[in-house]
Amino acid sequence: MLKGIITLLVFQFLGECITKLFGLLVPGPVIGMVLLLLFLILKKSSFESLDNAVTLHLRYLPLLFIPAAMGIITQVDIISKEFWAICISLVFGTIIALAFCAKLMDYLTIRQEDKK
Amino acid sequence: MNIEALTTYITTTPLIWLLITLGSFKLGIIIYERFNKNPLLQPIIISYFIIICALFMTGVSYEEYFKSVEIIHFFLGPATVALALPLYNNLKYIKSLFFPILITLLIAGTFSIVLAVFLLWVLGAQLPTILSMTTKSITAPIAIITSEQIGAIPSLAVGFVIITGIIGAVLGTTIFKLLNIKHDTSKGFALGVISHGIGTARAIEISQKAAAFSALAMGLSGIVTAIFLPLIVEFLK
Repeated sequence: MLKGIITLLVFQFLGECITKLFGLLVPGPVIGMVLLLLFLILKKSSFESLDNAVTLHLRYLPLLFIPAAMGIITQVDIISKEFWAICISLVFGTIIALAFCAKLMDYLTIRQEDKK
Repeated sequence: MNIEALTTYITTTPLIWLLITLGSFKLGIIIYERFNKNPLLQPIIISYFIIICALFMTGVSYEEYFKSVEIIHFFLGPATVALALPLYNNLKYIKSLFFPILITLLIAGTFSIVLAVFLLWVLGAQLPTILSMTTKSITAPIAIITSEQIGAIPSLAVGFVIITGIIGAVLGTTIFKLLNIKHDTSKGFALGVISHGIGTARAIEISQKAAAFSALAMGLSGIVTAIFLPLIVEFLK
């Protein structure tokens, strides 16, 4: 699995380097993700060690954002002041966007099928 | 026996907070699975409450806590890179519905952000909250690094990401039924674009095809948002 872990770290490193070098606004790891995707497309397959390393990282993914997420305890001020605005935006924003997205995708899919 | 040395060790070692964080997450997983993976009982939420209680009881500050568990935070980087693999594995589905996918991704993805921001703005929310809301539909690791990039509050952003995921997972099936959505691919894709990983976990219960499209949508919208959002925010500033 070591080869897989090294692969992930190397692509992250490359991504961060490119971001710094060209002064990009895109976060480095996302560039690393795109590079790894391109690498896999060119290589036409993954390898076992990478599969294992990816599973290791993604299996407990939510665990990895607990340290950042706990910062919420320092934001009590904002949350209590803007509680209702946040709730309404989250609930209605999500419901309407999900409905719109599903309907649009379904409409375009049906249209494409009709054309054939 | 040196009780004093023991107490000093326990109160100063980062190990204790690593143990509480990992242990509470494991407990969260056990509870989540016991209740048939109910989306409302995300392991991270159970973990959240346990750690908040522990911090509250010991009076440890967030900065001290973060320093102790920073090693966990580090792995967000390689985990983001790792997201390339599920995206690669599902990339073959893109060909069958290339234009519906591309158009929906761009239009619905933009619409989702604009709508949430507009609602906050109308209701008088401040700029940091509004910025933190813009990453609500992308997977949390990308949301954290992108929100840092645009000057939002990462912890608030993660909170919004998780709640958006849960709302989509809980209400998705009902919404699809009301709107008479025909294709599983549309259901999966919508869940992935709007509710990222939590939505994808829900899409697995709809069908294999829905799950594949959800994973595809989640990866694509993560990349597109991380690339364009910082540019747009920079431009508007």
